[in-house]
Amino acid sequence: MCDWEAHVRQQLGDLALGDDERGAVIAELGGHLEETYEQQRRLGLSEEAAAERALSQVKNWRSLRRQIQWARMKEDVMADRVKQVWLPGFLTLFLSMMLLMTIQFIGPKPWVVSPHGWRVMAPMTVIYVPWLLCLVPIGAMGAYLSSRAGASRRSAFVSIFFPVLPYFVFFLAAFPVCVILDDHVAHNVMLSALCIGLLAWVVLPGIALLAGGLPVQLLRSRRPASA
Amino acid sequence: MIAPGIKRGTAELAVLSVLEEGPLHGYEMARRIEEQTHGALRFTLASLYPLLYRLEKRGWVRGAWETSDTGRRRRCYRLTPEGKKKLAPIRKEWDELFRALRRLTKVSHV
Repeated sequence: MCDWEAHVRQQLGDLALGDDERGAVIAELGGHLEETYEQQRRLGLSEEAAAERALSQVKNWRSLRRQIQWARMKEDVMADRVKQVWLPGFLTLFLSMMLLMTIQFIGPKPWVVSPHGWRVMAPMTVIYVPWLLCLVPIGAMGAYLSSRAGASRRSAFVSIFFPVLPYFVFFLAAFPVCVILDDHVAHNVMLSALCIGLLAWVVLPGIALLAGGLPVQLLRSRRPASA
Repeated sequence: MIAPGIKRGTAELAVLSVLEEGPLHGYEMARRIEEQTHGALRFTLASLYPLLYRLEKRGWVRGAWETSDTGRRRRCYRLTPEGKKKLAPIRKEWDELFRALRRLTKVSHV
């Protein structure tokens, strides 16, 4: 006899629902197939024919998956994604940009960092230490807002790192394009400039955001879910 | 047999009507509908559950896990008070449609 629940899990295992809800749907549909199979057996069909009859209940599992997802969570997904990712993400991005602009206007002056130590020559970058310090509570805020809205761990981390994502995208895409297209860039320092820029604008801010966001995320994930 | 396009429109009415008689799990619901319509309306797993979940989302039916005498766990669906309220106008709409079709086509047993 076929394990019908396992069969449904194989077909709908990636159903985009919460773990409990997905498990309930799989158990329910598996039970339906099992009853169909048993009924066909009672009617005198062979095991093979009964199984075939049960399997004919679903012609297109992909379409069924889509329909179930649509029926159970379409509206919620949109609303949840806004609350869990976009809202905390854009709020932390906005705050970090405003703070950076303020610090650039009123000081203090940034550290100018170069691989050549105190000899200030290319490649070099600037590090705004007060901004990095401010990113710690901003990361915590992103994690708090996101996890309070019931975000998964992945969504919470997207919110935490959201303020550095534009820089990351820039270094990933725009910078190499500049290297290819712009003749004025000193190509001999390009790789080291890329690395030092990444360090100053992606890695260090990322660490600062994580330093604030990770403890909040861990604390909130350990709290029992409220009824 | 009734064409799938027509059946699709009647599916809500069929499910709500059969649940009006009492709580049922999905398989039994499909069996009852088929039996009471003499096979004219047939629900497969693929056509029944997305509809049930939609109705549940709207708050017209409510599903709850129950264990039968044989120890089998099934999700039984009940019509909610809101579902009962919705059933009456849906019935009326279909009744009006059938009467209109009868007048139009002069089919005596619509």
